[in-house]
Amino acid sequence: MNNLAKFTIGIFFTLGMAWLAFVVGARSQFGDLVPTSEVLDDDGLVPEDAELFPVAISGMAKQGAEEYAALGCVTCHTQQVRRVEAGFDVERGWGKRPSAPRDYVLQEHVLLGNSRIGPDLANVGLRNYSDEWLHQHLFEPQSIFPSSLCPPSPFLYQQIDEPVITDIKIVSNEVTKETRYVRPTVRANRLVAYLQALKQDYELPEVSFVETEDVSVEEEDVVSTDVSTVSVSAPKWLQDQIDTGKEIYMKASPGGGMCFACHQQNGEGLAGQFPPLAGSDWVLGSKERLIKISMYGLMGEIEVNGVKYNNVMAPPGIPPGSLTDDQIANVLTYIRNDWGNSASAVSAEEVATVRASLKGRAPMQMFTSAELTTPIQ
Amino acid sequence: MPADSPDKVIDRSAKLVFSFFLSSAGLWLLTAALLAYVAAAKLTDPFFLASYEFLTYGKIKVAQANAFVYGWGGNSIFAVSLWILARLSQAEVRGSVFLVVAGVIWNLAITFGLLGIMDGHMSGHEMLEMPTEVWPAMLISYLIITFLALVIHRSRQVRETIAPQWFILAALLWFPALFLIAWNGLEINPARGTLQTVLSMWYGQSLVWLWLTPVALGAAYYLIPAILGRTIDKYYLAIFGFWCIAALAPWSVVHHLEGGPVPMWIPAVGTVMSIAMVFPIAVASTNFHATAFLDIGKVWDSLPLRFVIFGTLSYTVSSYIGVVFSLPAVAKITQFTIINEFHFNQRVYGFFSMIIFGAVYFALPRITGREIPKAAKSFHFWTSTLGVLMLLLAYLIGGLTHGVLAGQPSLPWSSSVIQSIQPYFLITKFAFIILAFSQFVFVVNVWRVIFPNPFVYFSANNKEASV
Repeated sequence: MNNLAKFTIGIFFTLGMAWLAFVVGARSQFGDLVPTSEVLDDDGLVPEDAELFPVAISGMAKQGAEEYAALGCVTCHTQQVRRVEAGFDVERGWGKRPSAPRDYVLQEHVLLGNSRIGPDLANVGLRNYSDEWLHQHLFEPQSIFPSSLCPPSPFLYQQIDEPVITDIKIVSNEVTKETRYVRPTVRANRLVAYLQALKQDYELPEVSFVETEDVSVEEEDVVSTDVSTVSVSAPKWLQDQIDTGKEIYMKASPGGGMCFACHQQNGEGLAGQFPPLAGSDWVLGSKERLIKISMYGLMGEIEVNGVKYNNVMAPPGIPPGSLTDDQIANVLTYIRNDWGNSASAVSAEEVATVRASLKGRAPMQMFTSAELTTPIQ
Repeated sequence: MPADSPDKVIDRSAKLVFSFFLSSAGLWLLTAALLAYVAAAKLTDPFFLASYEFLTYGKIKVAQANAFVYGWGGNSIFAVSLWILARLSQAEVRGSVFLVVAGVIWNLAITFGLLGIMDGHMSGHEMLEMPTEVWPAMLISYLIITFLALVIHRSRQVRETIAPQWFILAALLWFPALFLIAWNGLEINPARGTLQTVLSMWYGQSLVWLWLTPVALGAAYYLIPAILGRTIDKYYLAIFGFWCIAALAPWSVVHHLEGGPVPMWIPAVGTVMSIAMVFPIAVASTNFHATAFLDIGKVWDSLPLRFVIFGTLSYTVSSYIGVVFSLPAVAKITQFTIINEFHFNQRVYGFFSMIIFGAVYFALPRITGREIPKAAKSFHFWTSTLGVLMLLLAYLIGGLTHGVLAGQPSLPWSSSVIQSIQPYFLITKFAFIILAFSQFVFVVNVWRVIFPNPFVYFSANNKEASV
């Protein structure tokens, strides 16, 4: 103990033993793992043409891993499903099987983590969350789980006043029910690509799926599976608007719009009498014009897709002119997104703005085509 | 006028270095306290400062741990180690200029490292989150300081060494070895897959066990006999305790990987070695407490010693709790819960920091010749005690709740498991406010003694030297 050199050798020797085990030993034991097939053949070899696992994630997902690391997500989220005897992870539905060292060999950032204030994410890509749902969660987790402690990341999104189909609708889960639309930045998209790529949905020779009687689905997850089934084509908020809009379009009793009576269920109108909505340059064009027509109706000559019509369209609604801002927004969103149409949604706020701008106009004073096509100063 | 005693001469030689490291340590302590508050506040209200990306929880939490361990821990280790080594060697501190320059580099490296973390360049390796660009600066400045510490030790008057010297020297030497191993295995010659995690977890945990812990134990081995004026009871056990820590601690830390995607022998070895750690813990605790309880009245009267004994008791309790939590049956519940926070804070606040506070209160009046008011020290002690106990109890009870509820798969995650532990986060927020206040008092105490009149510091210094 009195000779500094001998003392130094001693303390480095004790440290070196642990280093030999955990660094050198572990490396020689499993440092050269490579992807393999789900089952090996009788000789213990990878069968020819077998698919190899794990598979590499996409370039976008790799960039997402960088974002995940930089934002410190690993502070609260693990990415490891523990062995069945060591924890409740499989029971909780966090994975089909325990994670194995081989699952991680292709990852540049291995972010196993050691704290779970949030749930494990090793298999988040298997949970049927839609991209939209993940964006909503990243932007403001509390809009989905009111008691979540996950920090909102508004800095990954751009607030949008005029939403298009790819934008994300956020309904704050507070009393206000404030609605916002946000557009994901490229970083948010990378992050979502990464989360969707996190899945251990294959078996390996060393680990197979755990048999469970009933795969326990968390209460919270039920909502999300629901969301993802409808949002295959459109995000949920848009689908909601379209569905309600269609009801109004088809409804012939008070509160409805009875639009189908003239424009027909297929949106084709009636040749020579009522103009079509499907593929119409008016329907797919200016929202402001459409809103005005939906409030006050239209009379006189009008040219739609190069064909002239001359008829009277009373203010829609039963009774006429009674559609609310919400109803107008929904029905217009519907006609802009059915029969092959695809255009941006109309929001109730936009309708309200137009309504405010027409404050002095007498009720039932129908517009003319000329009035709508001349630019208003 | 009598000639200065040798101790006085040594203290004067250490004055510049000690003051420099201690005042920087104080600033880091306050930085960490502020970050800790922000992190805790974000766990009670996720919308708190949510729109600033650089303040997002993941970054703040990591920045806080790094500021605490490398900023406060590093600087206070340099201050206390250099002074204790100088005192025990009866040799003056030499190369003060180099020490201060190295210290400036160390502090700048950590500053840039933390800014790098907040700017989105976190590496993702446990306790090595600072961007790799600052690692060389940290290592070089550290090696300069360690080299000059070894110079002091080499010029010692008495050949025989004692326990405080073993612990402090070992800590000073282990750190660069750990750092180089981790650097090599993670960056220079990076391992694939979960080997990375084994290595970064081994590094992160060893940092606490082989760097912070031995320095605090060494300081306690020095201060308890020095203040009580009696020898350590059963001192012959100390050497056994030292080598047990050296041999077992680097093996025991990997038990945190229990059940994870690594070969099973790794956590198994970790668990066995954690259980074996009861021997060194028992040795240290016997040495400290058997000595202290022979003269408990004096311990109570001396504030530095009160801090030290709080720290050693905390060490004993936390280490035994750590042994229990490493058992697989218990780890099944406690793993991945906020009990991790309990362990970390128990070690860095309840044990390491408290002993350092004691060492500073003992050394500073001797080095500067100016006394710190007893009321100020006492206030610091009680606020620290209150804050630490509140923090640890909240994390312990909250962590057990967390683990038990998480283990019931029918309970939904955020609306049940996490909501149940939210009240504990609220308690930790208040605990961090109390601790921040307490640490502010500590820094004021220290700075008032180091810079009694900041604007005429150098002239006052000269006047004293001429007396």
